[in-house]
Amino acid sequence: MPDLPLAAEMRVHPELQERPVAVVDGEGPRAEILSVSPEAARHGVLPGATAVHGRAACADLCVRPSRPALVRAAREALLDAALGVSPRAEPSPPGTGPWAQEAALVVDAGGVGPLFGSETGFAGALAERAARVGLPAVVAVAGSAGVARIAARRLRDGAETTCVIAPGDDASFLAPLPLDLLGPDDALAQALTRFGLRTVDDLLRIPADALGTRLGASVAPLLALARGTVREAPPAVPVRSDFVERMDLEIGVDRVEPLLFALRGMLSRLAERLDCRGLAFADLELRLGLDGGGRDARRVGIAAPTLDVAVILRLIALSLESRPPPDCVLYVRVATEGAAVRGDQLDFFRPAGPTPAVLSRTVAELTALCGSGRVGAPAVADTHRPDGHALETFRAGARRADDRGVRHTGHQLTLEDAAPSPEPTALAVRALRPPLGAQVRSAGGTPVYVRSALANGDVVHCAGPWRTTGHWWSETERYAFDHFDVQTSDGLVVRLRFDWTTRSWQIDAFYD
Amino acid sequence: MLSPPRNPGRESRLVHLLRDLGADVHRGERPCPPAPPRPTGLAELDQMLGGGLPRGRLCEVAGPASSGRTSLAHALLARTTQEGHLAAWIDVPDAFDPASASTAGTALERVLWARPPDAAAALRSAERILVAGGFALVGIDLAGAEVSGVAAASLTRLRRIAAGTDAVLLLLATQRIAGPTADLAVEMEPARARFSQRPDWLEELEVRARLVRNRTGPTQQVVAVRLRVAA
Repeated sequence: MPDLPLAAEMRVHPELQERPVAVVDGEGPRAEILSVSPEAARHGVLPGATAVHGRAACADLCVRPSRPALVRAAREALLDAALGVSPRAEPSPPGTGPWAQEAALVVDAGGVGPLFGSETGFAGALAERAARVGLPAVVAVAGSAGVARIAARRLRDGAETTCVIAPGDDASFLAPLPLDLLGPDDALAQALTRFGLRTVDDLLRIPADALGTRLGASVAPLLALARGTVREAPPAVPVRSDFVERMDLEIGVDRVEPLLFALRGMLSRLAERLDCRGLAFADLELRLGLDGGGRDARRVGIAAPTLDVAVILRLIALSLESRPPPDCVLYVRVATEGAAVRGDQLDFFRPAGPTPAVLSRTVAELTALCGSGRVGAPAVADTHRPDGHALETFRAGARRADDRGVRHTGHQLTLEDAAPSPEPTALAVRALRPPLGAQVRSAGGTPVYVRSALANGDVVHCAGPWRTTGHWWSETERYAFDHFDVQTSDGLVVRLRFDWTTRSWQIDAFYD
Repeated sequence: MLSPPRNPGRESRLVHLLRDLGADVHRGERPCPPAPPRPTGLAELDQMLGGGLPRGRLCEVAGPASSGRTSLAHALLARTTQEGHLAAWIDVPDAFDPASASTAGTALERVLWARPPDAAAALRSAERILVAGGFALVGIDLAGAEVSGVAAASLTRLRRIAAGTDAVLLLLATQRIAGPTADLAVEMEPARARFSQRPDWLEELEVRARLVRNRTGPTQQVVAVRLRVAA
């Protein structure tokens, strides 16, 4: 990546692509220009000058301060693009001198031939993924990381974005190149110039011993690089970390809509990074920096991994609307671990359902519509409480270990294909959540008259009571009910209960 | 032009195979017959409906409390999930009782249960599920919920989406809300509850189902359905 601060800025503000832009280090008119866009360079704005000099050269110059959070996110995005094509990639040490603003990655291209057809295909795929995450990188493939970096520097000002040096051709590739591409330190570069050595070929014509005697040990790495004989350890497999995007807002935001506008861009960038790695959004951690130094941190639950930014945005909007930030927001940070979209093994004997990706997206959309904790697979709760129910993650028909179809026999688990015993004409119960309060007149503990928002009138038939008690050891969860099945004179058949803990009558369900 | 050599043995085997497969094989140029309706599992009702609820259609079941609407829905859920299909239940009043559905035979792990806050969100949820595909039954329970926000255009749109799928779109309500948009409408009403005397026990609920709208067949038929309390 030839110019990381500029690329990081362009990644967040793509509308600046055709404009003269200078990224400066610090604030104010004396801030030093770190990097300039091609349009600014055409107007004579140069890195190293001050912002005021840049504006003097180009009146329309857009001066943006370098923001470490954006640069860090761009660096991580570049690494994500690389890890999308190879399992091994790591950042190279920063460049010096004219290459100080470049960001380089070393990517292991060993064994990628079957995946991409050739090394050219690999380089093209990597450049394409970098472009997808908003970073127009150049890619060079060579026998060593040092030679590849030099080859990439050669691509900096050209139209080509990829370069592949055939195995064994490293030395012949380097021979005609100027020596400063090898990155010698200033003292060595001056000494080489004093000796009249301009190209790599000039250097290699001098015997190594003679060079060592005159220039010292510092010339040895340069010689090894020039000969293409550098031996390097392969890049390491990086430790997996969260995917983070952070943005400092130019002005404080105290409403949800503009905040969502900023978040949309951040989520889109995160989605591209996750997609490069074959992952999708998992639970999000949203952190808002507030005016006055405060911080609002919240976790946004996502029912199933998805890459649908509109759905994620809707979930965040629900969270922000239910609990707005208490103060003006100055910065936004979004982080997610990323999770793989589940694969699914189709059953030969069962009808196919939706694909896992579609199902994940649908469940996430439903969660956005219905709210967190209101979408899933229903389950019978492991309790004697009559109104107990549970909600589990919907897995499109995957059997649970406690299903009736699974029988435990000692230490063995036997899977029976028997369906739940059907009761096609079973009378269903319809729950009332929360239970409906009722005024009941009773005789000898048995209800004889009911008045409520649902059922009213004399009790025509009554069965019960059935007593249920539990959790007596807990002050908050204990329950004790006397249940009655009651038909009132208006025709309804309801499940009436007397709650001994509150000493009140309630209707917790009716038959329907 | 020479014709390829004939293989009498292979032809004979093919003829036998076609004969064994019988009606499952159709000639390519003939239109496929419409998918059979999905049985509810309640014999009397299925007989009245001509086999069950039609697929790709909006079916409405309306009735007051204790009229057997939920029992009909649970029977359909049970039948659908037992065949290995997925079902979605969109439950605005939050009235779905997993224990009761499980007793009726529903494989709960094949049910996607969504509890939207209002009827409009319920219709949007149903739309998402129908567009995703792969669900054989999409039920929307609006019984007892506020339905004034349900626009006829939303139902028409939902019906149009359902028409392109193999799913039964079932709308449960206290009173009919789909009107002419529904392809099939059944009104249910309670008849009587039977309690045993000694010991006191609710044994069964008898309800009446009236077919009030049917785009493809006769209407105004009435059947009685007995719903028994499961042991």
